Amino acid sequence: MVTSVRTTDEDPPWEGLHGAERYAACMRAARAGNRVARATLVKDLTPLVWHVARGHGLDRALAEDVVQTVWLALFSHIDSVAEPKALAGWLITTTRREAQRVRGKATDLPLTDEMAEQLPSTQPQPEDEALRADRDTRLWRAFRELPDKCQELLRLTVLSGRSEYRLVAEAMQMKRGSIGPTRGRCLDTLRQLLDSEGGGD
Amino acid sequence: MDDKRVLTELDRLIDEFDPPPPGLVERVQFAVELEDLDVEVARWERADALTGVRGDQGTITFTVGDLMVMINLTRIGECHQIDGWLVPPGQHAVEVRVAGHGSHDTTADEDGRFVVDNVPRGTTQLVVQFDGTRTVVTPTVLL
Repeated sequence: MVTSVRTTDEDPPWEGLHGAERYAACMRAARAGNRVARATLVKDLTPLVWHVARGHGLDRALAEDVVQTVWLALFSHIDSVAEPKALAGWLITTTRREAQRVRGKATDLPLTDEMAEQLPSTQPQPEDEALRADRDTRLWRAFRELPDKCQELLRLTVLSGRSEYRLVAEAMQMKRGSIGPTRGRCLDTLRQLLDSEGGGD
Repeated sequence: MDDKRVLTELDRLIDEFDPPPPGLVERVQFAVELEDLDVEVARWERADALTGVRGDQGTITFTVGDLMVMINLTRIGECHQIDGWLVPPGQHAVEVRVAGHGSHDTTADEDGRFVVDNVPRGTTQLVVQFDGTRTVVTPTVLL
C-alpha cells in the first residue's frame, strides 16, 4: 500500500549518488519516513546481506529468513543505527550475528543435496561451453567445501571489488585490519581442494 | 590459477550459482512498506530446518521475546483460511497483508484465537497489535 511512489516531480536526494553517499542519503530519507528510500536500500544492498548469510553455511531458505529479519531490524531501529555511512558495517555485523543464531538451531544440509539444487541444467551445450561449465562447477564445489570463514571472506572480497560495493571494502578494513594473509590462506586451500578434485585447470 | 584470477572467477560464479532468490527483493520491500515501523520483529521458528518449503499446509510459528504468533493454513481453492493463535492470549488486533491484495483485519478472541478466511495466496505478512501497545510484524512468507 504505497500511497504514492512519486509524490513530486523532484528527483529523490540520492539520485545520481553512488556508494556510501547514496546509502547515507537514503538512510537520512528513510529516517524521515520515506518508503521509497527504504525500498531503494533494500534493492541495492540485499545481495550483500544475502551473500553474508550464505557465507555462514545457511541453506537458501534459512538465508532468506535472515535477509528479511535483518532488513526489518534495520528499519525498526533506524534511529539507533549510529551513522548512515556505517550502514554496510551494520548490515554485515547484524547479518553475521543473526546467521549464527539461526545456524545454532539448524541441522546442516548435506552439501550434495544443495549442490544438486544449484547445479546448472544439463541441457546440451556446445563443447567449449560444456567444458567451461564443468570447470565452473568444480571450482564452485571446491569453494563450497571451504570453511565458512573463508567462504564469507572471499564472498565479501569479490563484492567489495565491485564499484557499487566500495563501502564493503571500507567496512572490512575497519573491522579486520589486515585481511590479506587470511585471504591468501583461503585461496591456497581452495586451490588444493580443486587439485584434489582432479586438475585445477 | 593466481589469486586475482580465482577471485575474478568467483565473482562471476557467486552470481551464477548462488544469486539471491527471485522475488526476494520484492518480498523484503513489501515487508518494510508499513507506514509505522516502530515494531518488534518476530522470527520464523522453523520446527524442521530441513524442509525449507514454503506454501505447505501446516503450522508456522513466529516469536519475538515473550510474544508468539502461530498460524495454521488450510488451502481452500485459490485461497487460504488462516487459523491463528496469539500468546499471551487476548483480544489483539490482527492484520494479514497480502501483496497486491490489500489487507484483511480481524480481532482475536479472549483466548487469542482468530480466523481469517478467503486470504488470496501470495506474499503474506502478519501485523499484530498486542494490547494496542506492542506491534509485532512477521517476515513475509510466500503462502
